[in-house]
Amino acid sequence: MKKYLVFLEQRDGIVKNTSLELWHKLQELAAPHHNIVVCGILVGGVNLQQLAAELFGKGVIYHAGDERLMLYNSAYYAQIVAELFQREAFQALFFADTILSRELAPKLSVLLHASLLSGTPIFDGAGVDCGSVRPVYSASAAVSFQPERSTRIYTVTSFLKSENTLSTRHIEFKALEPHCFFDVDNSFPFIRRVVMLEGVQDLTEAAIIVGGGRGVGSPEGFVLLEQLALLLGGVPGASRAVVDEGWRPHSEQIGQTGRMVTPLLYFACGISGSVQHLAGIGSATTIVAINSDPHAPIFDSADFGIIGDVSLVLPKLIAALQDFLKKK
Amino acid sequence: MNIAVCVCQVPDTASVIGFVDGTRDLSRVNEVMNPYDEYALEEAVRLKERFSGSVVTAFSVAPPSAKEMLRKALAMGADRAVLVSGTEVSDPYQTALALSRSLSSYYANTLPDLVFCGKQSTDFQSAQVPLMLAELLGMGAVAGIRSLSTSAEGLRAEREIEGGVESYDLHYPALFSVEKGLNIPRKTTIKSVIEARKKTIDIFPLSLDATPFVVMKTITPLERKKKCQFVLDEKELIRLLGEERNLL
Ligand SMILES: Cc1cc2nc3c(=O)[nH]c(=O)nc-3n(C[C@H](O)[C@H](O)[C@H](O)COP(=O)(O)OP(=O)(O)OC[C@H]3O[C@@H](n4cnc5c(N)ncnc54)[C@H](O)[C@@H]3O)c2cc1C
Ligand SMILES: Nc1ncnc2c1ncn2[C@@H]1O[C@H](COP(=O)(O)O)[C@@H](O)[C@H]1O
Repeated sequence: MKKYLVFLEQRDGIVKNTSLELWHKLQELAAPHHNIVVCGILVGGVNLQQLAAELFGKGVIYHAGDERLMLYNSAYYAQIVAELFQREAFQALFFADTILSRELAPKLSVLLHASLLSGTPIFDGAGVDCGSVRPVYSASAAVSFQPERSTRIYTVTSFLKSENTLSTRHIEFKALEPHCFFDVDNSFPFIRRVVMLEGVQDLTEAAIIVGGGRGVGSPEGFVLLEQLALLLGGVPGASRAVVDEGWRPHSEQIGQTGRMVTPLLYFACGISGSVQHLAGIGSATTIVAINSDPHAPIFDSADFGIIGDVSLVLPKLIAALQDFLKKK
Repeated sequence: MNIAVCVCQVPDTASVIGFVDGTRDLSRVNEVMNPYDEYALEEAVRLKERFSGSVVTAFSVAPPSAKEMLRKALAMGADRAVLVSGTEVSDPYQTALALSRSLSSYYANTLPDLVFCGKQSTDFQSAQVPLMLAELLGMGAVAGIRSLSTSAEGLRAEREIEGGVESYDLHYPALFSVEKGLNIPRKTTIKSVIEARKKTIDIFPLSLDATPFVVMKTITPLERKKKCQFVLDEKELIRLLGEERNLL
């Protein structure tokens, strides 16, 4: 019998899409095998009815719904997950690869003496028991990592999105009682405030990203990129050069010292294609480059290219897209 | 205030990693300080300049060749540097364990007031060592901070999360891993480099009894090159993306 635990991450009472996708992916993997059990853990208050309507598969979801757990707290969260993991003798713990998981997973690796495989990209049935293969050295090489411990923790980046083939719904919610550790130790960091930026989709979760570099010319030049992103339901991104110029916020930087992104479609507008930038878009499925220099290295990594001035190409591209969307 | 900064070496991004028979050839690689660790070090040095009597110590678990990098840490303003050697660490857990043992020993089983790490190393990008270290030391920690304000009583840190910003309140002692944007690291000057030559680098011999949690099995070069299809017309591009690739 194999027992897997999925961490379902919530913010403001809403379970993240990436967590739900991961849950469904594991359910699909487990479905043909009767000896694999997939359970979930949810920390913080959520509307369980609403969640139940969104979830397919079977298994138990343990819910620690105490008010005080609404806001993330690394010490409490780690303790709750570790206790359940040990009590129910799970073999593997899965997180969607997020900022929160990158903080909790290393703590849990130490607490549980479990092998941690972070940023495990695509994940197939075999992936659970063998290791993980992921890009290193600015995505110039791939390394396979082998877990040495019998318990494992994975943070899973992107997986081939599959059509939902699940139809069963046998999910049981079990309450996890809050523990008395709340007031025992107040020396740990606690969140004072969370400010969510309205309507901002995170780069790492975006399916379409319109990236801009120095070739965009000015902060004002990014208006066109924002327009294109809006039409496509995507988000703008940036090279380090423009972040360092102060044209765009740091949170938009893509690359080795920025975000690693995994969009289905990436536009590189006026971006030369330095190794450091390419390191962040190695997992993008389709790349379109727009650059005035036919020899720009970005074209070597692109699927489609337009040679031209971004300020002239983008308006035409936007018009063509509007036409296309109207006809659709 | 005692401030520890953990620094590691990574190949300079311009270096070419070679491959021979399925293993790495690092002979043409130039090792530099992990860029994120420069932000960590800069933050520590700025605090030292504000709180007089503070001591900044840089720690690295690395082979003796890392002394050059530790010299740079000293030139950037660290007071002391400790090279933890004698043991070969092969995964983040062993690294964190080596750091926690050397920090405990160096500070005589008390905790430093602050520990700074980089958010991640740019070669393997595991981003595991800092939080593992915090757990081993039993310190409160926040990963990937982009701003920090300190007073004698406590600490306030901010970090970006998906679609928002979290603000944290913390007590001393605390560990932070730092994100780009926290500060702008200073450049070393000829004077600071010469002064760094006068400082000593302590060697801390350590042998670890713990086995790694994860081992690296194979490494293979990744081909990133694609065959670019040049398109002359924007309409044609939209058609290709929309109809052929079904992306729009
Ligand atoms: C340690 C380290 C870490 C780094 N990390 C990152 C990182 O995370 N992310 C990152 O992006 N970079 C990073 N860099 C920087 C990287 O090396 C490059 O300097 C940077 O990516 C260049 O940005 P760019 O392509 O916007 O600008 P440039 O290299 O200046 O390229 C501009 C491009 O725009 C084109 N262009 C100019 N005008 C037009 C026009 N009107 N229309 C169309 N095209 C035009 C030019 O032909 C050129 O190709 C890092 C560097 C170091 C040393
Ligand atoms: N060998 C090491 N010696 C000292 N600090 C390290 C070492 N490896 C990693 N670190 C610290 O941990 C951070 C994150 O590294 P990593 O977990 O390897 O991505 C680095 O930026 C350093 O601050």
